Amino acid sequence: MFVLSAENLSKSFDIRGNQLKIFSDISFAVKPGEVLLISGRSGVGKSTLLGILSGLDRANSGKIIFKDKDLTAMTLNELAELRAMHIGMIFQSFNLIQTWTALENVEAVLMHRGINAAERKKQAIAILEELGLGDRLSNLPAELSVGQQQRVAIARTMVHNPSLILADEPTGDVDEETASEIMTLLMERVKKDNISMIAASHGAFNKKYADRELLLKDGKIFDVTQATI
Amino acid sequence: MNFDFLLCATRELKRNKRRTMAVFTGYAIAVSLLLVITAVTIFSKVHQTAIIGTTGTHFVTWLPSCGDLSSLTEEELSKLAKGIIPDKCKQNCANCTGCNKKPKDILNEGFVINTNTTRLLTLDLANEINKLPGVRNASPFLMFRFRDPTDNRLFTVGGLFLGHLAVETNSCGTNEIIEGQYLSENSLSKVIVDDGYALNNGLKVGSKVVIAEEEFEIIGVAATGADPVKADFYMLFGEAERVINRRIHNPLEKEANIVLVESVNGTVHKKVMEDVNKLMKNDSILTSGCYYPASKAIGLNEKLLWVFIAVILISSILLTVKLQLAFVVERQRDIAILKAIGWSNNSVIKQIVSESFIVSVAGCVSGVLISLFLLWAVPIEQVLGVEMDIGSPINALSMAAVIIFSVFSGVLSGLVPVLFVLKKHPLEVLRRN
Ligand SMILES: Nc1ncnc2c1ncn2[C@@H]1O[C@H](COP(=O)(O)OP(=O)(O)OP(=O)(O)O)[C@@H](O)[C@H]1O
Ligand SMILES: [Mg+2]
Repeated sequence: MFVLSAENLSKSFDIRGNQLKIFSDISFAVKPGEVLLISGRSGVGKSTLLGILSGLDRANSGKIIFKDKDLTAMTLNELAELRAMHIGMIFQSFNLIQTWTALENVEAVLMHRGINAAERKKQAIAILEELGLGDRLSNLPAELSVGQQQRVAIARTMVHNPSLILADEPTGDVDEETASEIMTLLMERVKKDNISMIAASHGAFNKKYADRELLLKDGKIFDVTQATI
Repeated sequence: MNFDFLLCATRELKRNKRRTMAVFTGYAIAVSLLLVITAVTIFSKVHQTAIIGTTGTHFVTWLPSCGDLSSLTEEELSKLAKGIIPDKCKQNCANCTGCNKKPKDILNEGFVINTNTTRLLTLDLANEINKLPGVRNASPFLMFRFRDPTDNRLFTVGGLFLGHLAVETNSCGTNEIIEGQYLSENSLSKVIVDDGYALNNGLKVGSKVVIAEEEFEIIGVAATGADPVKADFYMLFGEAERVINRRIHNPLEKEANIVLVESVNGTVHKKVMEDVNKLMKNDSILTSGCYYPASKAIGLNEKLLWVFIAVILISSILLTVKLQLAFVVERQRDIAILKAIGWSNNSVIKQIVSESFIVSVAGCVSGVLISLFLLWAVPIEQVLGVEMDIGSPINALSMAAVIIFSVFSGVLSGLVPVLFVLKKHPLEVLRRN
């Protein structure tokens, strides 16, 4: 039983009439609670793959089965709802909304889902407190340190109890010490709630957190777990 | 129903106070200016209408004679002079009153208006015209051209009714007497002479003239100026009937050849002229004063002003759309983030459109209040130099314009930018940072 399985995914971009092939016919699957690292050199298409898995982008062919449903057959609205309910995303550059406070950034995930404002606030505060930001709820991102911003981003990723986290270079922009702090926090939650995670990184991500490593190279994917971990 | 988007919209507006105030102020200024301009325009229109409305206006109507004498042979003419209608005229004469009342001296004399020969009309027709809505007064008038047998001189005689307003405005009225006096009910065998004719023929008050072998005394001289219906002599309608009857084959039977009309005011004048023409089976000739071009000129100005206002409104909508587009593009990263955390396009659209809608409605409402204040505080009546209350800028038309404007601009200035931004791929937007 898998949380997500990708079958024969292919993706190419049309650049002014020329087909730029990124990958073709790649397949893999993630088990519940499994942490999967997708590695590969810069430009091989790791972010592109995560985008397709999140439903923000479409593959040219292939299937993505998430919780028994085929993402490639869903409408844009259904995909948005899927993200809102089950998927958490975390990006290299945090991507917090600069005019919203820490609390508002986290709360935003729970909006438009019929959760009342008080309940929303309670859940968002709870997770921010858990991540040690209880006294920074009404700070704007610019008023927080880089590490604190990354913790807000983690809170945003986790607040709706997703079953899958897609992390694109989650530690790309911070020093090693902060990176390990962040990963410790993230892994604690992931393990506790048995969340699956797919992380993409070209190197900065410490392989010790991953259960398995898939290498993306020349448009194909290789399981390199035995060799590296 | 979920109102989360309203919460976010108001929050966003509060966070970006300067931007919000800029757009809000724009709306308030545009709407208040618009309302003040329309209030003044409507006021001046009311003012103009009041002027036209009190300016009565006049015209005369008549039917051109049915036969063309130049097409008749000598023989036919001499028959006609004896009252026998030639065959080729009969069809024309069938629906014509007065063909049996041809003048005996058909080549020189006849029913005319100025230099044109006319048909006869019944007095009943004049009565019907009198009853038309918008007609203040319609007065039958007789005008006949006589030949003086002693020297073959041609002159015209007008027969009029006393106390008819249409006579005052279209022909010889009481205030046009420059010497002597006007006609009265017992002015039998009395005439008024036109000043030009009097000068040419050495006539003055007290002179005697012979009209159809009957002697008349001149009791007044009139300067009729540019009146539409000018005769050389004016007498009572009954007197005119009597002298004309001597010169035609069969006597007049409650007939006249011209109807003078005075309409209630300038605004209905055109309609009255159309109605009269219809009543006369669209064959009539209408001679009018100079009302027409004046009213057209006023209407044109007004139309230009409305076009001007429409252009202002449309360009301010476009301008706001453009302004908001820049604001929304600035936020395309935020929008991409919201999409990544699971907001649907609809949620994003709702939030952005409510933002622009709230500012637009708030701005427009303030614009209305500002215009009320301006019209109350600034003595525009004095500035314009008129003694009249301009009144409230709130009327159905301007309110409809403001509501349509605020809704359109509010929705468009949110919808156009957000649809533009949503077309971009969120991942590409995020990648670019
Ligand atoms: N929308 C797009 N249109 C055209 N080409 C694209 C688009 N998105 C990505 N690419 C190309 O696809 C390739 C893969 O990009 P991607 O960002 O997935 O790489 P990556 O493996 O994440 O690299 P990095 O490690 O530097 O983040 C690149 O060559 C990129 O230029
Ligand atoms: Mg990448």
